[in-house]
Amino acid sequence: MYAVLHPPDFAAQAAAHERPGLRKRPFALLDGEPPEDTVFAANHAARSIGVLVGMTRLQAATFPGLVCLPRVVEHENAAQDTLHTIACSFSPRIECVQDHPATYALDVRGMNTLHGDVSQLANKLRRRVMASGYLVNVAIAQNYHTALCMAYGRTGISVVPPGFEASALGQLPLSVLNLEPSHEEIFHSWGIRTCAELAAISETDLIARIGQAGKRLHALARGESPHLMFPIEPSFEAGLVERMNLDFPVEILESLLFLLSRMTDELLERVRAKARAISSLRVILHLDNGKQHERIVRPALPLQDTPTLLKLLQLDLEAHPPSAAILGLELHGQSAQPHRAQHGLFLPQAPEPGRLEVLLARLRKLLGEQHAGSPELLDDHRPNAFRVVPFGPPPPAKSEPRRLSVPTALRVYRPPQAIGVVLTNGAPSRILWNGLKYLVREIAGPWRVSGQWWTEAGWCREEWDVRLAIDTAECVCRIAFDPRSRCWYVQGTYD
Amino acid sequence: MVVPQRPDCKLSRLSLAALRSAVESPSPLELFTWVTFALFSLILVFMASAARLRLEVEATLANRVPAALSLKVKQSPELFPTGIGQIDRALGGGIPRGSITEISGAASTGKTSFGLATVAAITQTGAACAWVDVSDSLSPESAAAANVVLKRLLWLRATAERKQKVTEKPWSRLEQALKATDLLLQAGGFSAVVLDMSDVLPRHTMRIPLATWYRLRLSAEQARTALIFLTQSPCAGSCAALSLRCQPAETAPFNRNGETALFEQQRYVLTRERNRNESVLHKKPPMRAEWAAETLWTRVR
Repeated sequence: MYAVLHPPDFAAQAAAHERPGLRKRPFALLDGEPPEDTVFAANHAARSIGVLVGMTRLQAATFPGLVCLPRVVEHENAAQDTLHTIACSFSPRIECVQDHPATYALDVRGMNTLHGDVSQLANKLRRRVMASGYLVNVAIAQNYHTALCMAYGRTGISVVPPGFEASALGQLPLSVLNLEPSHEEIFHSWGIRTCAELAAISETDLIARIGQAGKRLHALARGESPHLMFPIEPSFEAGLVERMNLDFPVEILESLLFLLSRMTDELLERVRAKARAISSLRVILHLDNGKQHERIVRPALPLQDTPTLLKLLQLDLEAHPPSAAILGLELHGQSAQPHRAQHGLFLPQAPEPGRLEVLLARLRKLLGEQHAGSPELLDDHRPNAFRVVPFGPPPPAKSEPRRLSVPTALRVYRPPQAIGVVLTNGAPSRILWNGLKYLVREIAGPWRVSGQWWTEAGWCREEWDVRLAIDTAECVCRIAFDPRSRCWYVQGTYD
Repeated sequence: MVVPQRPDCKLSRLSLAALRSAVESPSPLELFTWVTFALFSLILVFMASAARLRLEVEATLANRVPAALSLKVKQSPELFPTGIGQIDRALGGGIPRGSITEISGAASTGKTSFGLATVAAITQTGAACAWVDVSDSLSPESAAAANVVLKRLLWLRATAERKQKVTEKPWSRLEQALKATDLLLQAGGFSAVVLDMSDVLPRHTMRIPLATWYRLRLSAEQARTALIFLTQSPCAGSCAALSLRCQPAETAPFNRNGETALFEQQRYVLTRERNRNESVLHKKPPMRAEWAAETLWTRVR
């Protein structure tokens, strides 16, 4: 059984609800950019004096006593929200009808235990809507389209017993079927005014004259048109929220983890029911000083594992603790398809994704955010230009080793170490470094490098490769001279 | 249960007779001879009893624990090639997996080049590696030049006391690095972990308790990870399965063929000081391998 809730002249009702003084006066709502705005809706009193939808502002102004108002969409949205809430309280399965705003179809099958039989339900529904300040038509029928047509065409409550759809629709005008203008004209020329007259025509003849649309209209007029209901479902992602308010402020993080564990479990249960996993968790802590502390934990791969997620939350909150005691907490989840990987017996060793996440979180806590990750070279001429990206090894795959000579590795000093240099014929001959005097045995250079000279971050230096000797030990270093600061420093040691 | 005839009864009787003779013997020399003979006989008795007892225990527990009291036969470890042919030949294939390999040497002796070449060879097989950098001195450019697959390399940089020189008081950095290494080995999944302590003075590394190295050795064994230490002087002691010493080879002078001198290559010598994976019977003398590392611009030329 379907119950249809249809507020006639919805826009006018919504406007009158906001301005109760207009209820007994003729008024019209104008929509569009002035001066080209036209009448969008009018109340019954305005229509009775001849106001039509689509009239221009000037035409509407010719009617004495007519109040012209601009359309306010926010009022209509507020009214629709009210009706939506009422419809939801009568059935869990509701569908919003596309053609008419704020018209809802409710699946009321099995609701008799809560609201009585269908007549009682229709009365309750109408009274509830009227109590909120709106006038609606309510129709209940076995067939969805029959209930819809009855709600459009009959004022008040209409209950159609099963099997009497055609007779109930018979007296209604054809306009309830939402005809196309061409079909309306055809039926008008044929002298067909009601649904009963349309239903009396042979289906084959109707199809022969107006095509396949005739089949649908014939079924609608007879109350036999099928319908597949698409009930409105709350957004799954928006529902992945857990909130908890505490009776007294909590300062210790460990005690908070018990609550977070329970909340994470709740979220994971919902996510697992949809065969999904959690891709990120957003924790909002409401603090004692009125502020909010927000942290986002985003594992590299979607997880379905409470201990891992909880450990990540714990490590993140320990690394970034809140500034005051906690009064309430919210946990927002985001779901994604779970990670699936094809494992093999002969693949190389690789860290397990779940354990790797926890490991990286621990390492970030120990060393700092930017000190645990994979190096990535930047497309820059500046020596030693790199950035650290989160470590996420690609799936194990063997690559062909390139046979190249072993390069000499440079051990870099961060920051470069300042040194004293004795120059002979413009080249370094002795170096004072860490309080020790080194003799320059061999030298190659200078290699002049510069970049970004067109910006303030420009750099310039002269680099030398030197073999330094002290006593019996030798080492090969790269030293550099910065002409801007007139300073010598060691960039690194070849090792 | 029927107790079988003990085969060492004759020996026991013999030793008792020897003791009796010792008590009855008049001269000290005879007394000493008889006592020595009696003690030797008793030792033989105990050894025979212990062997019999061991067999009985093992037979009883055979269903649950096979060879409960027998020594485990040591398997030769899996080896990771280092990517440097001369060194692989000297080491018999590469560095061992699941053990500690210690590479020691002064500055400019090729430790880092050797470590990067090894990591490159491992990452190219598709495995993941980690580089724990005590002094934050790894050059990503050098790593990329050594063909390390950077996406498979986890680089951990110790951050404490950034204003101080590493050589002054490296305790916090060392502590961070050791903790990070411990975490890596516990998590598992890394084929090789390099603990780079090249810039830490020997007097500091020597003060790390031996228990730390024992713990790391056990963790590496369980995680089947090759743990590589780069140090100035050996510090892990007997925990290191393979101990290598890096030294500079004969100095290759800068190339002066062009208009200006050019640093082209550095020659190194690697000496194998200890390999605990060798059998005692087939122990080889220390082996040396000479190898060279070239600068990047040499490739271009």
